[in-house]
Amino acid sequence: MPRYAMVIDVEKCVGCMACVIACKKENKVAEGYFRTRVVEEVRGEFPNLRMELRSELCNHCEIAPCIDACPTRASHRAKDGTVQIDHKKCIGCKACILACPYDARYIRPDGTADKCTFCQHRLKEGKLPACVETCLGKSRIFGDLDDPESEVSKLLRTHDAAVRLEWAGTKPRIFYVNKRFPGGF
Amino acid sequence: MVEITITGTNSITFPHFEVWDWRIVLYLFLGGLAAGTLVMCSIANLRPTKTVEELAKCVRAPLIAFVMLAVGALFIILEIKAPWHLYWGYLTFQPLSLMSWGTWGVPLVLFFNALYILAVLPEEQKHYLRFEFLKRFSDRLKPKMRLIAKINFVAGIFLAIYTGILLASFLAVPLWNNATLPILFLVSALSAGAALIVIIAKDVEIKYLFTKIDVWLIVIELLLIPLYFYGLYVSSAPYKRALEPFFSFKGEYFIYTLALILIFLFLPLALRMKIGEITEFEEHGLPHQFTRGQILRMNIAAILVIAGTLILRGAIVYAGQLIKLSIY
Repeated sequence: MPRYAMVIDVEKCVGCMACVIACKKENKVAEGYFRTRVVEEVRGEFPNLRMELRSELCNHCEIAPCIDACPTRASHRAKDGTVQIDHKKCIGCKACILACPYDARYIRPDGTADKCTFCQHRLKEGKLPACVETCLGKSRIFGDLDDPESEVSKLLRTHDAAVRLEWAGTKPRIFYVNKRFPGGF
Repeated sequence: MVEITITGTNSITFPHFEVWDWRIVLYLFLGGLAAGTLVMCSIANLRPTKTVEELAKCVRAPLIAFVMLAVGALFIILEIKAPWHLYWGYLTFQPLSLMSWGTWGVPLVLFFNALYILAVLPEEQKHYLRFEFLKRFSDRLKPKMRLIAKINFVAGIFLAIYTGILLASFLAVPLWNNATLPILFLVSALSAGAALIVIIAKDVEIKYLFTKIDVWLIVIELLLIPLYFYGLYVSSAPYKRALEPFFSFKGEYFIYTLALILIFLFLPLALRMKIGEITEFEEHGLPHQFTRGQILRMNIAAILVIAGTLILRGAIVYAGQLIKLSIY
């Protein structure tokens, strides 16, 4: 079984927000809700400024607090290693939202929790997630960590990658590389 | 300087959590109060007694606890956004999910609580039971009252500590994600339960006993609250930041500072009043019946304790959601 992961090369992100729109369109995300976001972070004092554009989404953590918090197994780990929600089972208790340190979840209009699925329906068809396919700067790279020849495996071998809130111990599967500032954040 | 602009935020998590509201506060409060009442009532009923008639000294408290817990459970159902899927919670048990513990635990506590109501029901009040089978069931439960009281004692402790562990289990909320919180909630629930028994009890001895018990519980609670904050203060940055609503003295956070001031006003005041009562009764002995003034004083002290419990839960639920583990 694959172990899907995403590497985000923050240097290549141009901030076009196409990923945000593609995700909404592909997954029919309701108005006012988002499964992915782009953070524009400016640090320093003028004129010595540094800007980072960073895409954020569900980290599909290996140790997922949202799965532990769910009382009905609506939040579960799929066979492909991704974290998914079975909307039929979700009671909308919002425990997963409070458990997720990455603010990746929200409650959609039908009362159930929602988040990025890595476009699981597309993966089953052999396609890439919509955000990856649409990314014009090729900032988002998607692949299987268990395949040493996949682009994500190669990138993680050759770069210092960072994950968000590493000390939270959730083992995220969204990795960030930044050649100018290795280690990120 | 750090300037952050985000495209694609959801209002439930940005700029802070807006996940749980007053319904959860009431659930935690009523659940805690019911739990404390069950524990204290069981203590009253498990005290060594000479005759069977004396066994059940505390007969109204289980009914009050049942109503409070049922109303509290109703509030959490109102908070749940897809309650029509709730049956899935009863088709599985997730040991790591505190919500799952609550899904199973609350109805179980209500069940044992209902048995308790029937077991302590005095003969002269049996006519309130509409159905004959309930009267017969009540008669069969009466000899097992002590066992049922023991079960309800454990159920009360479970319920009181569960409300704290529920909050403490959430990684993304630094103010809640703390091992002291369940103990603080347990003690404050027991303290509020003792206070409620003081209000509803008619027996002079019971009122006096629970006034004495409550003094110790208030002292422990007053020690635990600073310990809880200290634990956060000496922890890493997000946990330190979680204290901001209480100690930053910013206008937008004024209500949380005020809540803390009220807690540290109400609880010591209640403590002072209760110590005054104990000293008075130790000096002059317990009267056969309390005067109206004495009852009023006891009730005011008890109400202060219960109000402190409500404010504590309200402040922690709301303040916790203001500061997240992530920096934005």
